Amino acid sequence: MIRPLLFLLCLAAGLWQLGSAGWLLAKAQLAQRLIAEAWETQLQDGVPQKPWPWADTRPVAKLKLEGQRPLVVLAGGSGASLAFGPGLLAGSGKPGDFRTTVIAAHRDTHFAGLQSVRRGSAIYLQDERGHWHTYRVSELRIVNSERERLPVFAERGLLLVTCYPFDAVAAGGPLRYLVYAEYQSGGEVVRL
Amino acid sequence: MNRVILFGQRFHKDELMLPTEEYYRRRQKSGGVGRWLLFIVVVLAVVIAAIGAEVNAQALDDAADSGDEEAVEAITLGEVKAGNLLFTGGEAGKYIPAVHQDSRVSIAVRGLVAEVWLQQAFQNTSENWQEAIYALPLPDRAAVTGLEIQLGERRIVGKVRERKQAAKIYKAARAAGKRAALLEQQRPNLFTNKVANIAPGETVQVNIRYLQPVVYDNGVFSLRMPTTLTPRYIPGEPVPFNTLGGTEQKLVTEGSGWALPTDQVKDAPAISPYMQPAAEREVVGSHNIEIEVELEGGLPLVKIASPYHDITIDEKAGEHYSIRLRDGAVKMDRDFLLSWQAEPSAMPRAALFSERVREEEIGNEENAGAKAGRYLQVMLLPPDEGTRARRLPREVVYVIDTSGSMGGNSIRQAKESLVLALSRLQANDRFNVIEFNNSPRAFFTRPVVASKQNVQRARREIERLNADGGTEMASALRLALGQQLPDETSLVHQVVFITDGAVGNEQALFELINQHLGSARLFTVGIGSAPNNHFMRKAAQFGRGAFVSIGDISEVRGRMQTLFAKLENPMATDLQLSWPQGVVAEAYPKRIPDLYRGEPLQLVARIEGDEMQGEIQLRGRMAGKQFVRKLVLRAGQSPSTVGIGSLWARSKIESLRDRQTLVGEGSNAGLALREQILHLALGHQIASPYTSFVAVEEEVVRKAGNEFSHSSVANTMPKGQVLQRQAYPSTAAGVYAQLLAALSLLSLAALLRRGRKVRGNLLRELRQQLRRVVPDIRRPQGGLEARIRNIRG
Repeated sequence: MIRPLLFLLCLAAGLWQLGSAGWLLAKAQLAQRLIAEAWETQLQDGVPQKPWPWADTRPVAKLKLEGQRPLVVLAGGSGASLAFGPGLLAGSGKPGDFRTTVIAAHRDTHFAGLQSVRRGSAIYLQDERGHWHTYRVSELRIVNSERERLPVFAERGLLLVTCYPFDAVAAGGPLRYLVYAEYQSGGEVVRL
Repeated sequence: MNRVILFGQRFHKDELMLPTEEYYRRRQKSGGVGRWLLFIVVVLAVVIAAIGAEVNAQALDDAADSGDEEAVEAITLGEVKAGNLLFTGGEAGKYIPAVHQDSRVSIAVRGLVAEVWLQQAFQNTSENWQEAIYALPLPDRAAVTGLEIQLGERRIVGKVRERKQAAKIYKAARAAGKRAALLEQQRPNLFTNKVANIAPGETVQVNIRYLQPVVYDNGVFSLRMPTTLTPRYIPGEPVPFNTLGGTEQKLVTEGSGWALPTDQVKDAPAISPYMQPAAEREVVGSHNIEIEVELEGGLPLVKIASPYHDITIDEKAGEHYSIRLRDGAVKMDRDFLLSWQAEPSAMPRAALFSERVREEEIGNEENAGAKAGRYLQVMLLPPDEGTRARRLPREVVYVIDTSGSMGGNSIRQAKESLVLALSRLQANDRFNVIEFNNSPRAFFTRPVVASKQNVQRARREIERLNADGGTEMASALRLALGQQLPDETSLVHQVVFITDGAVGNEQALFELINQHLGSARLFTVGIGSAPNNHFMRKAAQFGRGAFVSIGDISEVRGRMQTLFAKLENPMATDLQLSWPQGVVAEAYPKRIPDLYRGEPLQLVARIEGDEMQGEIQLRGRMAGKQFVRKLVLRAGQSPSTVGIGSLWARSKIESLRDRQTLVGEGSNAGLALREQILHLALGHQIASPYTSFVAVEEEVVRKAGNEFSHSSVANTMPKGQVLQRQAYPSTAAGVYAQLLAALSLLSLAALLRRGRKVRGNLLRELRQQLRRVVPDIRRPQGGLEARIRNIRG
């Protein structure tokens, strides 16, 4: 009597967990498609474009880590927008501004590739006018977000933030993995 | 995961006693125990894996912590021009202030006025010349009347100037290498204190004098002094740097705050000082405060208490009390609150204090004539009707702030207050609960009857609330005030707003409350160790309600009782004050607000001429009945108190600012009001939104060759709060945890379903394998041994 019940319970809970994990991953991947389209339209028309009609965020930049697929960055670092793509934190600078640009994303979806970034790797960032900016990774660091604040300076630079450790099972830990990349002046044209 | 976990013990095969087939058959039959064993093992394995991951993370955490403590190397914000400075050396990211700050406060309470001297010492511990920039929180009704720089015995007295002019004077002095101090008002309860040209190793002391009215509510006098602030949330879109005006551009480049100007909060950098946890401060011994209070209430007191600090009370002759902090200097991480009560027989029901400001006393300041005159401070309690009145059905909308700044103790206090408030509802009341951070969410689409089920449901939802995200208060207020239907007049409409008020767009919110209030009344409950009391008080004022503050979880019950008394009892309305004939008085607040239970009428007035005879009459209605209260004016006999004149000017400025809020600051009427405020503040020599204090020493101390750097002196994080965690977004979706859970649950399900068959197959397989490897000792003829025998044979 108990066994079939337990079985059904476990099956249902397991499927539910699997489904929601799959949903998270699918959302992260599918949304990137839609957002990438919106980004291209936005670049051509110059008008802010929402990736889907009820979206409460919009693409603001395109990020390309060396040797990885490009990601379209959304405005804001709230949980709602991080589910769909990396977020450009409010209060930080736009690409090319004289203020640190801070981009955050989930370690288990979009920024899983951040652990393969090494000192000296190049990072490319496209701004809203279509210009590409080049950054070079200068520091990698782990910080405790409860004890330190986000460093934002009045200079051009890119800070990528994600959770740490990358393979921790539980979400919501205090540690963050920071990748700081310095701006490469010269404005070389980058073909991707 | 594919690691070998179990190592088999090696036995000599002859000593091995192998299980027979009979044994396997029996085991398979008695499978119940085995299945449960298997189940437990799987569960254990999952739990151990999860704990392991957690421990791993914590170990890393500790490692990061210990690294922090070793790094005691001073870095100034001025030096932090290059991003890599925060990264070099790995641990140097911890910001150790170049300028230390220590405060000393002496408060003298006479009558209903507290006169406060705040001495701040800025100590430059670096090797460069420094300019210290400090966000100074002050009580929200403080009238700042003095600023001076103290160098040993020498004092350089500051003057009040128009804001821009003061900033110009200060900048010129700073550039010329003179010591200078500037005190600018950013919000009525938040000032910026700048001190220029502090030599390496030097300590410069800045003294500030202000006056503040004593609050009297429910028979308790109280005095509140903030020592730090809760970081304010800045709503709106950041304004691009190149379109900023001159002053805002300066704010950004000088880096005095962490926030950027937005379209809703233009001065965001000025009101968003950097914050540091108190623990980091203790290492360097900065940011301590000493407080002493001289209390001359003129009344026999029964209870003097300070809920957030340990105090010692020294009673002197003539109802004079001396109060000190027991531990001397304490951390500046919470408000200081002192409350005292008179003996029941001496509980005041009315009080009158006066101040005479003569022209010759003021000295030869410009506009000196504006200040001279006679000022009165009046306190009058309406009659206490008790609780006899009939209780009217109410419709209450509770709004709870679940933004990131509420994290830590605050959200717990807020939840508990809310649950307590729900338990007060009666069956004929209606209610709704709205929680908000980035956007508001109502528990019910419309207010519902306070039935058991509805209250239960609301409670369950409250339990689940977490503090995270922004503080988009405007949309939440609009939703809360839009809940009432215009034709529902049979109900008393109340909105109870539970928040820490940590927002940067206060004025816009007051305007919104004023526009959307309708027939409702808004009550604010201030939460946390350092709430924004300016927001709490003014929101309640514009909302025609009252406010209470809760600073500790143990206070929730008591403070909420006070609020319930105000919510549920009749109030004094239609209040009119009449002055005796021949007395021309200009009194503030101009419109007397409705008074809730326990609240007295408190006003300050300026009297024209010397005539002061007759009586003041306060008329009003309470629980459907008219009442009159009288207070006799006697020339020269009312006790004299200093500072009423300044408080009067401060109240008048507040009243003018309120009018400005309603017409808009940039409109013609708003600009005319600005002129009035400016004139008043210059005349009375007090700080205002348009006037600042500036003090400059004539001597040039810094020689032309020496550079100086700006150094923001960070404020201490309020007690019980998590340090700006919202600065780092949470960046894990939790996919791994879900996948792991799915995997283990599904395999468990599979085991349960096909357990017997699978295990049977597995065991059969295992048996066959075993047979192949290990020779059967029961059949010595077969296998290896047989072959050996054959060879021998």
